[in-house]
Amino acid sequence: MTVSRAPEAVALDVVEQSGNRMVLSMGPQHPSTHGVLQVITEIDGETVTKASPEIGYLHTGIEKSAENLFWSQASTVIERMDYLSPLTNALCYYLAVEQLLGPDAAVPPRAQAIRVLLAELSRIASHCVWLGTGGIDLGALTGFFYCFDLRERILDLFEASGGARMHPNYLRVGGLAQDLPDGFLGRLDAVIEMYEPRMRDVRRLLQKNPILQDRMIDIGIITAGEAVNWGLTGPCLRATGIAYDVRRAFPYSGYENYEFDVITRSEGDAYARFLVRLDEMDEAMRIIRQVRKVLDDPGPVQSPDTKFSPPPKETIALSMEALIHHFKLVSESFRVPPGDVYAAVEGPRGELGYYVVSNGDNRPWRVRTRPPSMYNLQVLKKIAVGELIADMVVMIGSLDPVFGEVDR
Amino acid sequence: MPSSQAPPAGATALDPTAVRPDIADARIVRVTPAEIRATLEGLRTDGFTMLLDLGAVDYLTREPARFDVVYHLLRLPSQPATVAEIGTPERVRVLCGVPSDAVAVPTVSDLWESADWAEREVFDLFGIRFDGHPDLRRIQMPDDWEGHPLRKDYPLRGVARERTPRPSFALKSNVAAGTPASGRTAAALQKQIAEVRRAIDGHAAPEGKER
Amino acid sequence: MAVANSGADFLLTTVDSVARWAQSSSVWPLTMGLACCAIEMMTATAPEYDIARFGSEVFRASPRQADLMIVSGRVARKMGPIVKRLYDQMADPKWVISMGACASSGGVFDNYAIVQGVDTIIPVDVYVPGCPPTPDGLLYAVNLIQQQIKRGGRGGILARA
Repeated sequence: MTVSRAPEAVALDVVEQSGNRMVLSMGPQHPSTHGVLQVITEIDGETVTKASPEIGYLHTGIEKSAENLFWSQASTVIERMDYLSPLTNALCYYLAVEQLLGPDAAVPPRAQAIRVLLAELSRIASHCVWLGTGGIDLGALTGFFYCFDLRERILDLFEASGGARMHPNYLRVGGLAQDLPDGFLGRLDAVIEMYEPRMRDVRRLLQKNPILQDRMIDIGIITAGEAVNWGLTGPCLRATGIAYDVRRAFPYSGYENYEFDVITRSEGDAYARFLVRLDEMDEAMRIIRQVRKVLDDPGPVQSPDTKFSPPPKETIALSMEALIHHFKLVSESFRVPPGDVYAAVEGPRGELGYYVVSNGDNRPWRVRTRPPSMYNLQVLKKIAVGELIADMVVMIGSLDPVFGEVDR
Repeated sequence: MPSSQAPPAGATALDPTAVRPDIADARIVRVTPAEIRATLEGLRTDGFTMLLDLGAVDYLTREPARFDVVYHLLRLPSQPATVAEIGTPERVRVLCGVPSDAVAVPTVSDLWESADWAEREVFDLFGIRFDGHPDLRRIQMPDDWEGHPLRKDYPLRGVARERTPRPSFALKSNVAAGTPASGRTAAALQKQIAEVRRAIDGHAAPEGKER
Repeated sequence: MAVANSGADFLLTTVDSVARWAQSSSVWPLTMGLACCAIEMMTATAPEYDIARFGSEVFRASPRQADLMIVSGRVARKMGPIVKRLYDQMADPKWVISMGACASSGGVFDNYAIVQGVDTIIPVDVYVPGCPPTPDGLLYAVNLIQQQIKRGGRGGILARA
């Protein structure tokens, strides 16, 4: 393309005829790929003609590590898959293990309610990161600060209950490690208070922003039939009009007791996915408000079955049996009867599932993850074709992949 | 790991579909590689429009099939549908027993696009080949990797690292916490810490001091 | 720290210390966010922790424009050569923070897929323990880097190998 000609004079077909094709490797280190993704794109001028995402740059061997750890230790590595909502991974894994253990591992209602609370808080925290980083990709930095501040308050709650901001490893077979601390409910109320005005501000900044709309509307359109064929789940699927939500289709952990809407749109473009996730955050807060009412009632948070629940910490110093029991559980762990099960939850990215196989040992034989981000990301091969190279970051952001989960 | 309750050496996984307890998570279908294509085409025509997941399990010494390739299918409508219309969709788990990596499994990436990367991952981590896959190459491991890591006979730490000797604590032996690594006394360690502190928090670094 | 060995160094001492003060006050990190620690690194730029007040105003995506590589997250074997290449592409003087247990030593992942410590491929100045470390830990690490720069350690303006 010669520089001396005026831009209007350079017709598009001249560009195509001159063969302005090149192969561009985006990533794996790139400011806007939300993680270590390499997209090998063939571009013709600015238009993408072929996109091949290359993954594996964060392959951690988590599934193999889990095979060499005890059942309760495996959740530490499994939590590190979808690192934006670690509790969701642990919840799904423990749902699978509890199904294998049978009715003895029934989770008491208070523990179920707390699991739901923390799962929905994780959803909001994860969407905060998506929204903040998605905004940064488009140059909207203020939204990032607002969203991460909200996320801080939620991480404070995780730290108070589980001990760590990310990866608290708070769940156990049959319930939780321990009950919520004193003062937690007051802090939860403060977060519920701050949520609405904060999200109002964020929506005012982003939702009707003409630049954001320009960059997201009609970008990366996926039809419903395509979405199902490509294995999409979560907001990516619901933005095409199919209201499949695991919390409604296969309720777990007491979700059938709470009222919430499954948000759908019909356009299937990046803006539709954006709106679905925004509304999902509001629905998550709606569930949290309902759970909050239940949490005032005290109750046990661990299954009483001593096969896998350790004795209360206070008894260990006083009772020899309790000490030995605790020692055995920590040093050798419990055994899970042989069998296989597929358990699924609605993660922030879609249907997160674990296919867990046990051979009767004290370690999992196989933990196969059904990674929603990997299947969501695969569709990039299709939707990127014909779009501009600058839309690539918008599309990747709208699919919201987490590479700890894609690569495992 | 030495323990009175460690599983006896040589214990292997049983066939999970033969002994699984009554968990109603999915309808189970067991097939061989020769039947898998027809079965999955039939299920797809029957309305199982979504291939949720394609994975594999290595049972090592199980006869007749060492590996299982596991397909999870979901019956979902292919056009916009409400929560009520979807209801509780049916799940199916198809288990295909593969005797060894010499036997290839027909691909389903032409039936469901979601199978593309999933089959590549099974090939990468288990070595099972998929006939008819458009681009069967490694996806998670580097292209020049040797071996298939998720197989049960592949060492956890990888072949290269298994060859190097490891310090005793890696075997989880009962070394007392706080045992000094080199046998130096606590006082010597304290002295060293104080020196480093002075260097960092203190004033200008001492003149002429070799670092 | 090498011993001052000639009169030529004396002339440059004041300039050197001013340069070091300037360098330490504007350490710009490279975006090398890999996994969970990357999220905490992002949080360190967020209002609660605000790394910008320590001079790390912008995170540069291009290694040519960055001083500090914060390796935040587990380094997979496939990613190792890329980390090394990016480190080589950074202009001197440059520093490296190994953030988190995985970057420092392989962390919880003692297996075939993870590089057992990024210091096996690039030299590291400060290690931050944690899984993930809180953003406070990262801020302290940046402070230590600033102190190292002011002391004129490895990577000062008259950096020697």
